[in-house]
Parts: sequence; structure tokens; C-alpha cells
Amino acid sequence: MCLGIPGRVVALRDDAGLMMGTVDFGGVRREVCLAYVAHDIDIGDYVVVHVGFAISKVDEDEAKRSYAMLREMSQLDELDWMREFADTGLRDAQQAS
Amino acid sequence: MRYLSEYRDPEVARALVRQIRETATRRWVLMEVCGGQTHTIVKQGLGELLGDAVEMIHGPGCPVCVTPLEQIDKALALAARPDVIFTSFGDMLRVPGSDCDLQQVRARGGTVRVVYSPLDALALAQAHPDKEVVFFAVGFETTAPANAMAVYRARELGVPNFSVLVSHVTVPPAMRAILDAPDNRVQAFLAAGHVCTVMGWTEYEPIAAQYQVPIVVTGFEPIDILEGILLAVQQLEAGRHEVVNQYVRAVTREGTVPARTLVEQVFRLADRKWRGIGEIPGSGLVLREEYASFDAERKFGLEDLTVEEPAECRAGDVLRGRLKPHQCSAFGTRCTPEHPLGAPMVSSEGACAAYYNYGRYREGEALAMSRESAVGSRQ
Repeated sequence: MCLGIPGRVVALRDDAGLMMGTVDFGGVRREVCLAYVAHDIDIGDYVVVHVGFAISKVDEDEAKRSYAMLREMSQLDELDWMREFADTGLRDAQQAS
Repeated sequence: MRYLSEYRDPEVARALVRQIRETATRRWVLMEVCGGQTHTIVKQGLGELLGDAVEMIHGPGCPVCVTPLEQIDKALALAARPDVIFTSFGDMLRVPGSDCDLQQVRARGGTVRVVYSPLDALALAQAHPDKEVVFFAVGFETTAPANAMAVYRARELGVPNFSVLVSHVTVPPAMRAILDAPDNRVQAFLAAGHVCTVMGWTEYEPIAAQYQVPIVVTGFEPIDILEGILLAVQQLEAGRHEVVNQYVRAVTREGTVPARTLVEQVFRLADRKWRGIGEIPGSGLVLREEYASFDAERKFGLEDLTVEEPAECRAGDVLRGRLKPHQCSAFGTRCTPEHPLGAPMVSSEGACAAYYNYGRYREGEALAMSRESAVGSRQ
């Protein structure tokens, strides 16, 4: 849970005063809170995401490199959760697995 | 892949290893406090590569591993309640409590849901107003901004059936505790890059000055780590003790200010037990009084629950760097990822799991012996 996962911002929206957005993580898309980087973010930017929150902006090369590294380290378990939740919303992970 | 090459290039790695070995006039003891770094170091065999120049001790850098047993037991008690939907990051489901783990509570009929973001847990509370939704707010400074926001939003939106079981820890007090220990061997630290992405490194400056230890903010790729080690060894050799930033492409001195600000608004510092280590003053985050109604421990009367940790698991010695995972008598026999005695064998960020998964135990043992004899022969 400590290693951030980089992804690309593909949509922005306001959720009752909270800046949210859709972030693409190598094909898996997921709603992410962008409030902490709101002052400096636009569609197409790459961000590092910790448990659903963008914490910093990164450049594209860095994003791609660390994504590949995380994949190799098998540190992308979180992406599996995302895949489950991205399309179907919340449901019991036991059913999902 | 092209973009991987820069930070994984074997030539660059070899050059850095050579430079570290040429720079070191003695064997220095460094500690990394990041499970991701531990993972890379063990997988790539960086400890072995550095031979007599550097010993890497793996610090308490795994948030799952240091969550105290009593917080796990509180989670199990909450998850077993029929009126509660217990939500957690997936990492926590197999961490052993006193009697069982969250997965087993679920098998017995408790409602336990894995969420990706604490905001998912908040949405679940809004969707189930007839249930109490509790989120297990664990982790270091990397997850604190997310958990702070969930609580802040719960108050803002008025979601009374949402609460959090907080078990947050912060890295700098743990570093102080390690340095304060009478048998401390650590001479320099690699600080965790992603923690510093959030927090910056101002908190490390007084530690470097007071204890006269170099601290290098370091990324988690192999070249990052070797560069971090070199920057630490150069300081040690020169008698300097500063905070320097290896991970310049991700970390600034101030960190992510809006995230730090909300964490400070929702949480305050408190003493916190670390699993296997014991209480470290000022090392935990707890909810501020304004957010007390979202504190699951208060809401469900769990504040007084305390638990003694069992003796067989030596996770505390591993987390403090006193014992390498393969030196534990239970390692790979009575304790495996399938049947863990302690959390460091469960989590992908845990040192025991890293040693087990990369088969470092046999090789590590042999090398540890040859190292000891090498050090001995120089004395």
C-alpha cells in the first residue's frame, strides 16, 4: 500500500466540492481523488496514486518506468482490486475472487 | 524496455557497486525503512553485491507488519459484529490476530470488504445507512492523506454511520527509536521515497543533526538504491551527516503541502505501539477531538483492549534489524507465506516474505557466515 502507482488523468469532475478524476493505469480506469494536486493538474497529466489519491505529478517517462517496475515487483495487487471495482462498483471481494 | 533501462542498466549498476566498494574504507551499516526498497534489495541481491563495503539492515518499513496485534484484534472484533460492514485494504486480510485473521472472520459470517480507497468505504456507508461501516485506517504517511480526507468528507457530508479504526504510524519517530537503542548498529538511513513525496524531508533534518547520521531520500528501483547507498557512504567517509535527496524526480523538500495540511487538520500525534517493537512515543496518528465521533474505538468501546504478543514470532527483532529473516528458527518451516506466524511473512512489503520468495535463505546464510569470518579476520 506504500508504493504509489502512476497513471494518466483522462477526465476531471467535481464531486460536491471534491476534485475527482478518472485515471488510466495501463488500461484499467479508476476514479481517483485529485484534491491534493488540484492546483496543478489537467487532462493528460501523469500522477502517482496512493490508495485512490493522487499525491504528486510525474512526467510520462517516470510514470511508465515505475509502472513497469511495480509490475515486475508484483506490487500491483491494488490494480486487481481496481479492476474489480472500476466497472462494477463496490462488491464483496470474496465474490470477486 | 527502453524506459526501464536507465534505472536498471546492469552497466550503471556495476559502476555504482564498484564506486561504493572503492569509496568504503570499512564496512558501513545502513538501514532502509521502506518495504519496497527491502523488496528490491533482496530480489536483486544488492546486499551480496556490496560485499564488505556495506551491510544493509532492513528496517520497520512495512505498514502491514508494524500494525500492533491489539489493533488487529479490534478489527476482528468489529468485523464479527452483525451490524458492521468492515472495510480494509486487501493487505490486512491475512495478518494473523490473536485467534484468527479477517479472512476467517469473513468465512464465519462477518462482513469484510476489500476497498481500494477509503472513499469507497465512505460511499459504502452512504449506500447502507442501516449499517455501521468501519474502515481500517492503517499505514505510514503515504496513506494518511487518503484516510484524513475520508474522515474530513464524512463530517462534511454528514455520514454518521462511518468510522475508522486508526492504526497510523509515522517514520521519523521510529528512526529515532532505532538510533536510541543501546545496541543500535545503524550508521546511516535510506529514507523512503514515497513517504517523502508526501511529507518532504524537513522532519529528517533534526534527526541527521542530532544523531549525526546521514539520511538519503531514496527511490525504490535498483539504481536508485545503489545511488542512495553511495551518497550515504560518501558522507560517512567524509564525516558528514546531512539529509540529501537521491529521488529528485519525485520528492521536494516541502512534499505535497495540501496533503500534509489536511493530515494535520484531522489527525494529531500520539504514542503508538508497533507490532514486535513496542510503544514508540509520538509515532502514531489519532483523530483530533473534532473528529472523535468517527473514531471506531470510541464508538464501539474498544479503547481499553490490550493484548500481549506471542513469543514465538521474532518479527520485532527482524523489524529492528537485529535478526535477518532467515536466521529465525521458524523461517520457512513453522512460518511460511501460507501459514505465517507474523505479519512480515504475510505482506508483500515484509522482509520475511521477500527472503522467502526470492530464496535468499540458503544463499543468505552462507554469505552471512562468510561475511562474518571476513569481518572477523580484519579485526
